Amino acid sequence: MQNNQVWVGQKDLTNDQEFLNSIDREFKDDITTLEKAPELQGNRRDFLKMLGFGVTAATVAAGCDIPVKKALPYVTKPDSIIPGVATFYATTFVEGGDVEPILVKTREGRPIKIEGNDSLSKTGGTSARAQASVLSLYNIKRYRQPQLKDGTAFANSDWATIDKKVKDALKSGNKVKVITNTIVSPTSKKALASLSENYSGVSVITYDPVSYAGILDANLADFGKRAIPTYHFDKAKVIVSFDADFLGSWLPNGDVSADYIAGRDVSDVTAVKMSRHFQVESHMSLTGSNADNRVLVRPSQMGSAIAYLASKIVGGGNVQLPPTIKSKLDKVENQLRAAGSKGLVVSASNNSAEQQLVNAINHAIGAYGTTVSMNNANLSRQGDEADLGALITELKSNAIDVVIFNQCNPLYDYAGAAALANALTKVKTKIAIGYADNETNAVCDIIAPVNHYLESWGDAQPTEGTIYLQQPTISKIFDTRQLEEIIMGWTGDTTQAVDFLKTSWKTDRFATQSKYLSPTSFWENSLKKGGQVSTSGTAASYNGGGISGLISRVTKPSTSELEIKFFETSQMANGQSADNPWLMEMPDPVARTSWGNYLAVPVNFDGTRTMVGLNNLKDGDLVEVTVGDIKYTVPVIQQFGMHPETVALALGYGRSNSSPVANDVGVNVNASLPIVNGRAQYFSDRVSVTNQIGKEKSFSCVQYHHTYGVKGTDEATGETINADEAATVFVTYGAVQQGFQGAITDRSVIYNSNVKDLTDSVKHLKEKRGHAQYLNDQGMYPYEEYMEDKYSQGHHWGMHVDLNSCTGCGACTVACMAENNVPVVGKREVSRHHEMTWLRIDRYYYGDVENPNVVYQPMMCQHCDNAPCENVCPVNATNHSSEGLNQMTYNRCVGTRYCANNCPYKVRRFNWMDYTTADLFPANQPAMGLDTEIPFYGDDLTRMVLNPDVTVRVRGVIEKCSFCVQRLQEGKLTAKKEGRRLQDSDVKTACAAACNTDAITFGDMNNKGGDLSKKLKSPLNYIALEEINVKSSVTYTMKVNNRDITLDA
Amino acid sequence: MSSYVSPIREPLITGSKSYHDITEDLVSPTEKVPSASWVIGFVLAISALAVGLFCIAWTIWHGIGTWNLNRTVGWGWDITNFVWWIGIGHAGTLISAILLLFRQKWRTGVNRAAEAMTIFAVICAALFPGIHVGRAWVVFYFFPYPNTRGPLWPNFNSPLLWDLFAISTYFTVSLLFWYTGLVPDFATVRDRAKGFRKKIYNFLSFGWTGAAKHWQRWEYLSLVLAGVATPLVLSVHTIVSFDFATSVIPGWHTTIFPPYFVAGAIFSGFAMVLTLMIVTRKILNLQDYITIAHIESMNKVILATGTIVGVAYLTELFIAWYSGYVYEQFAFFNRALGPYWWSYFGMMACNVITPQFFWFRKIRRSIFWTFLLSIVVNIGMWFERFVIIATTLARDYLPSSWSYYSPTWVEMGIYLGTFGLFFTFYLLFTRVAPVVAIAEVKSILKSSGNQYSGKAEPGHHHAHVTVDPHFKSYLNKSSYDYARDDKGNLSYGSTAPSRTSRLVEDEGEKSSTASTLASTASTLAADDLKKIEGIGPKIAEALNASGITTFAQLSETTTERLQEILDTSEGNYKGNNPESWAMQAKLAADGNWDELKDLQERLDGGKFA
Repeated sequence: MQNNQVWVGQKDLTNDQEFLNSIDREFKDDITTLEKAPELQGNRRDFLKMLGFGVTAATVAAGCDIPVKKALPYVTKPDSIIPGVATFYATTFVEGGDVEPILVKTREGRPIKIEGNDSLSKTGGTSARAQASVLSLYNIKRYRQPQLKDGTAFANSDWATIDKKVKDALKSGNKVKVITNTIVSPTSKKALASLSENYSGVSVITYDPVSYAGILDANLADFGKRAIPTYHFDKAKVIVSFDADFLGSWLPNGDVSADYIAGRDVSDVTAVKMSRHFQVESHMSLTGSNADNRVLVRPSQMGSAIAYLASKIVGGGNVQLPPTIKSKLDKVENQLRAAGSKGLVVSASNNSAEQQLVNAINHAIGAYGTTVSMNNANLSRQGDEADLGALITELKSNAIDVVIFNQCNPLYDYAGAAALANALTKVKTKIAIGYADNETNAVCDIIAPVNHYLESWGDAQPTEGTIYLQQPTISKIFDTRQLEEIIMGWTGDTTQAVDFLKTSWKTDRFATQSKYLSPTSFWENSLKKGGQVSTSGTAASYNGGGISGLISRVTKPSTSELEIKFFETSQMANGQSADNPWLMEMPDPVARTSWGNYLAVPVNFDGTRTMVGLNNLKDGDLVEVTVGDIKYTVPVIQQFGMHPETVALALGYGRSNSSPVANDVGVNVNASLPIVNGRAQYFSDRVSVTNQIGKEKSFSCVQYHHTYGVKGTDEATGETINADEAATVFVTYGAVQQGFQGAITDRSVIYNSNVKDLTDSVKHLKEKRGHAQYLNDQGMYPYEEYMEDKYSQGHHWGMHVDLNSCTGCGACTVACMAENNVPVVGKREVSRHHEMTWLRIDRYYYGDVENPNVVYQPMMCQHCDNAPCENVCPVNATNHSSEGLNQMTYNRCVGTRYCANNCPYKVRRFNWMDYTTADLFPANQPAMGLDTEIPFYGDDLTRMVLNPDVTVRVRGVIEKCSFCVQRLQEGKLTAKKEGRRLQDSDVKTACAAACNTDAITFGDMNNKGGDLSKKLKSPLNYIALEEINVKSSVTYTMKVNNRDITLDA
Repeated sequence: MSSYVSPIREPLITGSKSYHDITEDLVSPTEKVPSASWVIGFVLAISALAVGLFCIAWTIWHGIGTWNLNRTVGWGWDITNFVWWIGIGHAGTLISAILLLFRQKWRTGVNRAAEAMTIFAVICAALFPGIHVGRAWVVFYFFPYPNTRGPLWPNFNSPLLWDLFAISTYFTVSLLFWYTGLVPDFATVRDRAKGFRKKIYNFLSFGWTGAAKHWQRWEYLSLVLAGVATPLVLSVHTIVSFDFATSVIPGWHTTIFPPYFVAGAIFSGFAMVLTLMIVTRKILNLQDYITIAHIESMNKVILATGTIVGVAYLTELFIAWYSGYVYEQFAFFNRALGPYWWSYFGMMACNVITPQFFWFRKIRRSIFWTFLLSIVVNIGMWFERFVIIATTLARDYLPSSWSYYSPTWVEMGIYLGTFGLFFTFYLLFTRVAPVVAIAEVKSILKSSGNQYSGKAEPGHHHAHVTVDPHFKSYLNKSSYDYARDDKGNLSYGSTAPSRTSRLVEDEGEKSSTASTLASTASTLAADDLKKIEGIGPKIAEALNASGITTFAQLSETTTERLQEILDTSEGNYKGNNPESWAMQAKLAADGNWDELKDLQERLDGGKFA
């Protein structure tokens, strides 16, 4: 009975009996009924059973080793970082003298991608090496702290210790040599100068891994300025290049390529403005492959060829040359003369007399001021390796106490490396300011580890009137310092690098401009933009004299049976970035080989059905090459367009003391470079090549068939036939001898034309396309209706690739690897055709079999609207988006490879093994063929370069170009947030962004006023393999060359 | 009555077998201790299987990268072997289904083994789609099962999915058909077995009693399954060919593929049946059931299908030329003259040229040549699939991507492993089930047994066949609807009548009718075999005892068989060589006595000089 006045409800207040009863029974239901609940029935034995099962199951489950993946959240999130949103910083790529203004994409504080800075460069493109440089930041073999040599091996040390040791060594009175590659940073130079100010006896030797001393000396003689001119290829009508690979590896070439392509404008087919480019060379260089005509001379005849042209144009002198070369050069001379000031002659010769002859020609035709300028000279090469020769003499006389190597590797890339190494043993203290192991650092006593450029403040001055800024994009990963800080540590200056740079910027650069009123706003705006460009440079005028004295100083042609040409490839240069896996795996644009240097041998058609290489050598044969006294065992690649008495071998390979990526990959030929007057010469006539001595086990060439209709003479009939088509025959059964003529050239993969035949070619193309379209229209399902239905709304993504703009440099392929986490597979896997590149550049030779032209065709997924890959996938892993993208769903893919088989373009890539270490099994991760310990992406440092927006693919699935769908999504999101429609210029795929020549245009085909639509109007456009009706979304243009066929006679 | 047989038709069962003999001959291999050759074969097969399993494990553990496939050639030995094995299976289905519907009696001798071969070959084939994928552990994505992913279904447009359905249906129907045929035979085995073995066979025979209703249902089921399986003969390889025909790759994209693949499959299937049966009949002593006549029939099928395949090859070449389509033209040019010319040459030589030898009766009826050519055909058909798959892919549209492919040891090991798997199954099969369908063979004994049919005429008198009154009465008498077992007891056993006539029964060994009949037939028709040089009275007697009483019969008997008769008869006939007897008998039977005389002059005691 409730008598108190505290009640909790009406029933409580009224003392309802039922309620009162229920209070007595707190548990309303009979507890006994609960016990009968079936789910609770059980007894001790059941409990034990469950326990037993549970423990066993847990034990079994726990026995499976699930790898621990680390992902740490921010404890305190920096204000400037929004997770998932990329931040871009403007900075500058510097490697030796090569300079490119870039933007660095960082995600959560990690630099992951390099983009061009289009506010400072002509097209906002980059080189392959700049693209790859972000991976070098995460080089697992880079120095992590100062090193001191202890006996023969290095031991970890710290800055205080090494600073003290260095200071002791530098004490005044000691003779100190600083050896460096070209330094383009005024601030770095200032820092080096401060070293000389603090210690007496310090002097600096500058040399370049590939020497430009000849041209520098020539300009010193002719202009009083030791610099390289800037060239304006866009203004040139006739370009004559003597071996200068200006589109490939000769000088930094970003804007050069853009200019060159600007001078070859085929956008209006009725009024083509196209320069004519003659390349005089002995082997097929990247630039030569883009040339209209190539005049093949032996390397040792190059000087005579220059001299002959000079003698014809300037007058005077008598030059001996074979009449065939003379007659060709006569024609070159006529055209050059006709072009007048619109002509341009360049040469890569390292003989200053030859370079002075080039200057004389340019002067005589009036090129200075239009196509060549010494006023705003190029500062990217300043070295002279003759100084190294002199140093050896000094070293031998025990005159040097300390040698400091600043981020250079003369014991690898200097022609006299052996002598230098020998002489260096006499030096007491050898100090290296270095980034990672190399041949030179290995002999040093102290290693001062230097920052990556993405961790550093700095500046760079590629030409007199241009200066770019560097800013760090990540805090230092390891205990390293940038060059200025290292030197200031030795001079006792405690200024921070950033302050040092700021000061020099404010004091030296502020005065040169008038736009900004305060030094601070000048600094901040410059930093934001990436640098400052002014047009001022010091004027210089030609003061050269007669040429007859020069002609006597050119290289004498050799009469040896064979000569060898040493050349730089655009990706490897002279081995500075050989330890970068992306560059190692990037195929050489011309030879299409990767992971090593291959002896390029001339090839000819035997008149029946074989392409015969020198000494009957075939692709992948091993030979022994003897240059001077040194023997090399190298694999062979048959190279079209070689002078028949020349073989060629690339520099930059065969590192011996670098990372496992580079060590013993290929051979180092630097030691075979002859030194003439202290200058390295990049050819030799003391060469012999054996017959085949074996087969290369891992012949990593990514293209086995190289030609698209090279013409030769049929031995039996004397008719001109397509030699490569004849060579597709392996056995004749006594029947077909000439192959199936038309087998390759009748395909709709490549169209090419001479400028002169352009009207006819356009007509022919129209007919071919009309025929294909007629066939395609006979289908059961009218494509127009489908298109209207599917793609008339929203976006319809497409791409245009201008084969006339593509120089084949390969920057796009590396950009694609970086953007899309494309794995590196290593030499063995490449040799098995397991390369994973989403974007490749097919290279074909066409025309004269002995002296062909070249076309480069970037080939990526064509995003067919009627895709053959999609309908054959049994599990719907590849399908089509409403915006016309052919999509891959990796986690749905079973890996039947049917789609890859059915892809006419062969752009689908299968993860044959676990290239990314994304799989649970550790057993199927191939090492890169070199270091059996670590597969690529196998360590946390390298994985920092991964783009978090792109899935890392597991083994067993297919992958392919996605048109950078992650960028599309990001662009759409940005547009949506800004409340507008996405314009096609808002989004660029990684390949299009990286292209220096804007050869790739990506966009929305539904945007009628957009960039892509404009490109799609050209009558030169075609769709590769149009007749198979796959409705590809990528359009190519016909390749137009300006070959002068009179030279072929 | 269907038991009428044209006199020019050869007997399908020789050796004057009685029903009991058939049961004895066919069941005994399952009852004896395996022979040494079986054991050796089994050890080899198991070893090969072990190698295959290791290579499969290696593949799954290390990835498809252990194979030499590449970015251009996505399928190589894997799919070549897959299509090859599927093709092998086709003969079994054709024999069991289509030939049943066509009432081809000779099928009874080989259908059991051929059907078994089908099943084992399909198992070998089905292995490849499972292991050739990059992620074998998610291969269940192929199946349209209810799921929580959307639900996400497979892509019904994909020929690979059609393959899945086609092959699983094919496998299921083939297995049912095979097992259905086995049920009465298992019952026979059961009836003879004892102890635990009897229990097993009792289970396997599903309680078969031999009741008329059983036979009736069994007949109907066989007929229904034959009806279901017949379209499968055509559909499976048609769909397999769609894997290629629906693609855009020149050399694959061909409308001729379905019939061409089916003909090729039957072609290779029969070749494999022959390869196996020639070995099996020798080892299990089944020459009386799988006779030269059987071999010849199968060789005729090979000749026909081989010719179809040859026409298909030539049609492809013609169409490539006629199409004016450069990719197609190059694809075929490249097959013949490109880097894989040897495989094209191998294919043409093995598949088009060699079967043409079967136009010659002598080769068709020669064990040696048949065996040799059947292996050649198998090799040729493997080459065909390799040509279609690898050489086509290696050089397709873009010259930049052209490549070359040769297998690694792993791929070869897996192929070897499928042989191991196949022969392991096959050898086990020969131990547990009658290799020849007992019930079916018995059903044709009365119409195609050599003592009942064939040329039973004396001398050079031709043509008319007189049916012995005893035989007539026997036929009438035997129209009873019961069966007796081998011991003569009335039973519901399996020594039973046919699928086709159902009613004929067997009196068994105790019944004197059959032997009386045989002896009556021989008295009536006997020739004087002693006229054959080399045959004396004793041998003549022995031959008569073996059922050879006329010149005609002797002329049809193989030398091996004669030698066998000599070997098994009492007396020492080591000096006698029967190699010329058939030839002499032929002349005698045809009445060419002059020629016989000439021949005998050239012979030395019946032997070729």
